[in-house]
Amino acid sequence: MYRYDEFDHKLVAERVNQFRGQVERRVSGELTEDQFKPLRLMNGVYLQLHAYMLRVAIPYGTLRSEQMRMLAHIARKYDRGYGHFTTRQNIQYNWPALDQIPDLLDELARVEMHAIQTSGNCIRNVTSDQYAGAVDGEVEDPRIISEIIRQWSTFHPEFTYLPRKFKIAVTGHAQDRAAIKLHDIGIVVKQNDAGEVGYEVHVGGGQGRTPFVAKKMNDFVHKAKLLAYLEAVMRVYNMLGRRDNSYKARIKILVHETGEEEMRRMVEEEFAKIDASEMLTVPQEEIDRISAYFAPPAYESLPADSDAFTAAQDTDADFARFVRANVVAHKQPGYGIINISLKPIGGVPGDATDAQMDVIAELAERYSFDEVRVTHEQNLVLPHVKLDDVKAVYDALAAHDLATANLGLISDQIACPGLDYCNLANARSIPLAQEISERFADLDRQYDIGELKIKISGCINACGHHHVGHIGILGVDKKGTEFYQISLGGSADENAAIGAITGRAFTEEDVVDAIETVVTTYTDLRQGDERFIDTYNRVGMEPFKERLYAE
Amino acid sequence: MPSEYHLVIDGETAEENWVYLNDDTALDALTDAPTIISLTRLKAQADALRARNAPLGVVLEADGDGKTSLGEDVHELAPYLDMVSLVALRFPAYRNGRGYSAARILREQMDYEGELRATGDVLYDQWAMMARCGINAFELAANTPLDSFKTALGEFSGAYQPAADGDSDAKTGWRRNRF
Repeated sequence: MYRYDEFDHKLVAERVNQFRGQVERRVSGELTEDQFKPLRLMNGVYLQLHAYMLRVAIPYGTLRSEQMRMLAHIARKYDRGYGHFTTRQNIQYNWPALDQIPDLLDELARVEMHAIQTSGNCIRNVTSDQYAGAVDGEVEDPRIISEIIRQWSTFHPEFTYLPRKFKIAVTGHAQDRAAIKLHDIGIVVKQNDAGEVGYEVHVGGGQGRTPFVAKKMNDFVHKAKLLAYLEAVMRVYNMLGRRDNSYKARIKILVHETGEEEMRRMVEEEFAKIDASEMLTVPQEEIDRISAYFAPPAYESLPADSDAFTAAQDTDADFARFVRANVVAHKQPGYGIINISLKPIGGVPGDATDAQMDVIAELAERYSFDEVRVTHEQNLVLPHVKLDDVKAVYDALAAHDLATANLGLISDQIACPGLDYCNLANARSIPLAQEISERFADLDRQYDIGELKIKISGCINACGHHHVGHIGILGVDKKGTEFYQISLGGSADENAAIGAITGRAFTEEDVVDAIETVVTTYTDLRQGDERFIDTYNRVGMEPFKERLYAE
Repeated sequence: MPSEYHLVIDGETAEENWVYLNDDTALDALTDAPTIISLTRLKAQADALRARNAPLGVVLEADGDGKTSLGEDVHELAPYLDMVSLVALRFPAYRNGRGYSAARILREQMDYEGELRATGDVLYDQWAMMARCGINAFELAANTPLDSFKTALGEFSGAYQPAADGDSDAKTGWRRNRF
């Protein structure tokens, strides 16, 4: 994992001091709320319905146990004993007091964490694959280039007041777990025919009210030149992105309105100029320095199978279910990747208490080379656990309501905070997610339904990723009443697709029944071991529509 | 520009020797005083202006006329850069950061070495970033002391990325201490 050096420590400390001054100027009235807004946003501070909300950055979703303990401490000391893990692999606190935030940031800085650029119209926290470095078949650990991008984009003087926010995601694997095609820039680490590692760059994806899958802008950018290429994309966007309408200000609209070809031409022209200056050619020593931080941990040489692991599954049916749903193959023989679901039946998707965070920190330290990951689907991961130890980890998780065996199943939903917290929302998301998870609480039924991703947004801004849910649910407000629109067939993986709306929206009372209708339509129609998305892609919308709107 | 401002150039208080001349004033009203004109006028009357023997500056508007207009393109200055010794970038609202790119393009790609000034809605917290993009002149509100400008520019001791304010060599521009 990356560790701060003196340089990083100093800049983060300076940022905390700068923000402390800004808060003082706001409290004294020297800054108006309007003037303070972009400054607090760039430090992760939002004004929500009831209070300020602080979003803390977890770069590419990787945490050390010491950092997880700090997140628990902050939940206890500055919040109400919990935190909310987000779809950008960050954590949000919903109740900090503004005047305490500088102290909170000071504490975070002690464990090499911050809230820099977690909001505002700047380059946001870079996200990546939660299985980075642990899963078989990676071209290269995507966290290496993610960290290089993080540093380049931090306090970038030119791109701090962009037309709109800007999100970058990286995957190093053909199976995309980072939803890179739904990002302003999505990067795939790949190898060219000469065996060199470089990057395929996709531009202009995004959700919100006008969703787009990103266009492939460049098939292969050389490793040392990626920052020059990114700077070119950013500059074209900063010069030409619309500033007259915030709904049309994302780069996806620029790409759409300009056309893919013309956009590519402009980016290449700018790239040629920046590249010629060699200013942003990343020195090999720097690439080597960063790469060293992501060297594999000191695995033991183990047989591929563990007798203890197999025996425990034979004797404990709940454990066997947990393994089936939540444990994923590791590239190192004798190890596994454990997913910790933050979607207990009837719970709030993505929430964890301070005690739970402490437990996970402890387990990471003891069993997973000190590492925890956050996933964009709002779950956590212990990436490197010996198969021999999986049962012990499971037992500890189960004792803290952290062993829900539902990864990728219907109750493993993404939901935005919705009307319970957010002042943009039209409708509540969390209570609906809770109702759906209770309706489908029976785990055997969930296994029978198989992989099914439900994603819920409380408004058109799509923070709950409803456009790319196999089943997407969008809260809409009609004359003061909450309604829910359903879409089908979306996907956030390497086959990214935007879902199609079924038809008229459902009332709060009817929407869970409607979801059940969609699910039973699928189970009636599926052939063999087709997943929901496979059946939908084969039969299309019509059969679902017929059943949903039958008189 | 703020109606009342004092000028800081290269980190020090400076005399304002320039006047902004709007397009409604006839060109023959131009005195020998250093004058800042619009890009529209510069383009339309370049020949006449070339014959004039006094310092000329140009202000690049960020917003243009209509709501959807992006504003003026810095590249259009290329044929006239030899005529001007001041370029002012208008920041119509502090949230509009288009001028940061214009500044870097002028410094890094168009080799402009004259005065590069920020005018308009510019906050304390933006001066340092602007300076990194190559802006060296600021119109500070009359009640802003020079000391706070210096404090603002010193808030960060280093930078992660090269920009227009330092050595353009990658090996020194990358993660370097500024002071």
